[in-house]
Amino acid sequence: MSDMDNFVKLSAALTGIDPTKLAPSVDPINIKQEFFDKARTEAGPTFSEALTVAGNTPANTLGDVLLNQSGEDLRFLCRSIMLLWFLGQWITPGDLKRYAVPDPPASPIPSLVISSKAYTQGWIWKVAQAHPMGDSNWHFGYWNGPPPSLNDFIGA
Amino acid sequence: MSDPIFDAVIVGAGFSGAMIAKQLALAGKHVLILEAGVEIPVNVNEFMERFYTSNTKVEEIPYTPPLFDANGKLIDPTKLNAPRPTVLTLDPTNWKDPKQSYLIQNGPLAFASSYERIGGGTGRHWLGTSLRFVPNDFKTKTVYGQLADWPLGYEDLEPWYRAAEAEIGVSADVAAQAYHGISFPVGYAYPMPLIPPSLVDAAVAAGIAELGIDGVRLTVTGSPAGRNSQPYQNRKACAGNTNCIPICPIQAKYDPSVTINDALATGNVEIRYRSVVSEVIVAANGRITSVNYLQYQDALGPKTAAGSVQATVFVLAAHAVETPKLLLISTNGGRTPNGVGNSSGKVGKNLMDHPLYLGWALAADPVFPYRGPLSTSGIENLRDGDFRRQRAAFRIEIGNEGWNFPIGDPDTTTLDFINGMNDSHLNPNRSALFGTALIDAYNSKLSHQFRLGVLVEQTPEERNCVTVAKQVDNLGLPRPAIQYDLSQYTKDGLVAAKNAVSQIFASMGAAEFTREPDDNDPAMFPVTIDGKDTRIKYFGSGHIAGTHRMGTDKHQSVVDSAQRSWDHPNLFVTGSGSFPTIATGNPTLTLVALALRTADAILRRDLRA
Repeated sequence: MSDMDNFVKLSAALTGIDPTKLAPSVDPINIKQEFFDKARTEAGPTFSEALTVAGNTPANTLGDVLLNQSGEDLRFLCRSIMLLWFLGQWITPGDLKRYAVPDPPASPIPSLVISSKAYTQGWIWKVAQAHPMGDSNWHFGYWNGPPPSLNDFIGA
Repeated sequence: MSDPIFDAVIVGAGFSGAMIAKQLALAGKHVLILEAGVEIPVNVNEFMERFYTSNTKVEEIPYTPPLFDANGKLIDPTKLNAPRPTVLTLDPTNWKDPKQSYLIQNGPLAFASSYERIGGGTGRHWLGTSLRFVPNDFKTKTVYGQLADWPLGYEDLEPWYRAAEAEIGVSADVAAQAYHGISFPVGYAYPMPLIPPSLVDAAVAAGIAELGIDGVRLTVTGSPAGRNSQPYQNRKACAGNTNCIPICPIQAKYDPSVTINDALATGNVEIRYRSVVSEVIVAANGRITSVNYLQYQDALGPKTAAGSVQATVFVLAAHAVETPKLLLISTNGGRTPNGVGNSSGKVGKNLMDHPLYLGWALAADPVFPYRGPLSTSGIENLRDGDFRRQRAAFRIEIGNEGWNFPIGDPDTTTLDFINGMNDSHLNPNRSALFGTALIDAYNSKLSHQFRLGVLVEQTPEERNCVTVAKQVDNLGLPRPAIQYDLSQYTKDGLVAAKNAVSQIFASMGAAEFTREPDDNDPAMFPVTIDGKDTRIKYFGSGHIAGTHRMGTDKHQSVVDSAQRSWDHPNLFVTGSGSFPTIATGNPTLTLVALALRTADAILRRDLRA
């Protein structure tokens, strides 16, 4: 397994989105590389540790192991990676830790949209059975009827 | 080379300026437009890139001058050329800070709307709603003893409404719009068919089928939209990008750059960008002879040139804050100490908006928001009625963008369920989820979200005003100072709006999540409803109006019904600033109709062949 394979495995376990959707075999957009690079740049050693855990852990327990059995550093880095996939935004593990308390700071949590592609590839829109605001590939009038099923958006 | 004497000089390249420029140019008149902001780009790629990569996506984000410096901090407006307001300076910490807020807000409440200074004007970020006003909107004083009458009526504007609908390209259904006395000539059809309603619209319509408020049965009506339902003016049909505000990525929504480009194509129009008019010059005989302007190259750079241009006719079309400010700062070396066109003393007075009440809920069944245009329908039944004797009327806009407007979703909910937070109020147990549990949480919440926005008619009051601040911009031009409050009549309308929204949600079986604002929010007021103390927050609608009101009495108004200055016969002061009341519809169609009517008046009287 390559580091990227482990990254996709880890990402699928955390997000609940099928790995073939996150990283299709034909992947001209290749947003996974952008997220991989961002996480490695921001959190090199911890990121390497997360990839190692991913390589050594079955997919069906990987999410729980990463988030609940591997310490705070891995937990908050994994949450940062999840937010990359869903929103295209980098929110630092440190800030996530500061806000994950009963009485978090009042100001908005600092965040950074890492690229326009990261925004338009955000998975939260698909989980809502919708499209990114400002980036619809659908046609006139589609909103008058129901969307495709959730599984069509995120399933295998 | 010195300039010729133009037939018309127009200040501002937004809706009104574009409309008048095109009509004069088509009649062969030589027009110069002076626009404070930057040019209309060949395509919207730069705007889209700024929108996509910004972590806040408010209405001003795609446009210029820039709001943020390299560190992500708001740029001090003192350092900017042609700065503009932003809704990002409406929190308790910055709304009165002149280093952050371009408008000098003097309270007591916050003026919550913004506008653009760019080619295309605030029309770059409008929603597209193109409602006609109802006939009684023009005569509320006569009919209800409230607000003010207009110097013209629905019947006077009707042909100009049709002309405006053609120029903008409005998609709507005539039969559905014939309410509250709105009438159309027999056989009239809007330029394009109605844009189909959303599933949110359908859920609201089904949910309120049995609901009456103030004795009025409510219905959902498809909104006339300046948005293509089929190809029109060489622009595509709407693809439902759910992004009309701040920007349609495919220009299926009309914006004034369309008309500016038409005007330029005549060969009779010249436009100078980055040209900020600094004074309107009056001759001893009362006619306007010229306007002076300052030029710059870079948003943060120095003044690069200054000029003065002469014309037969002058049209101010810089929207309802910059236009009165320009009139007020035009003191002509002390010859017009109260400004130009201001013998009535009404310039800058009667500032209005539609204070917007926002309510949000989860529908009982999925309504699949974040799809389609931002809004496709509204509830128009409460725009007129005898209740206008007691409280402000309103329309209710149904939103298709989930809780994006109320809480910045989907971002807020996304973060909550990953990081065990509850800013959305959808995660009271502060669960931190992953995998399929996370997907289920997101899908079950996001697919049920919707919001209602209620646009409440605001009383024209002289105490609500634009004046000249001592603070300046980078060109040394004074910034606008704002004084703003809500009348009891308007507050009573907002209370009725709040009650109506809660009744609609209850009637639909929807779970309401509307929040009470903080007690230090500058855009809220305390109120007691049924013995319970609460607070009501209002948002700006961007419907800035009233600051150079039209009327029949030159002592009580700034312009006549043709938007001609009472004081200066060759000066036209145009836009929603001419509205005596903000009325019950979104203002753009009416201000465009007025602009086309003004262009006709200019061609008939001032620039006859």
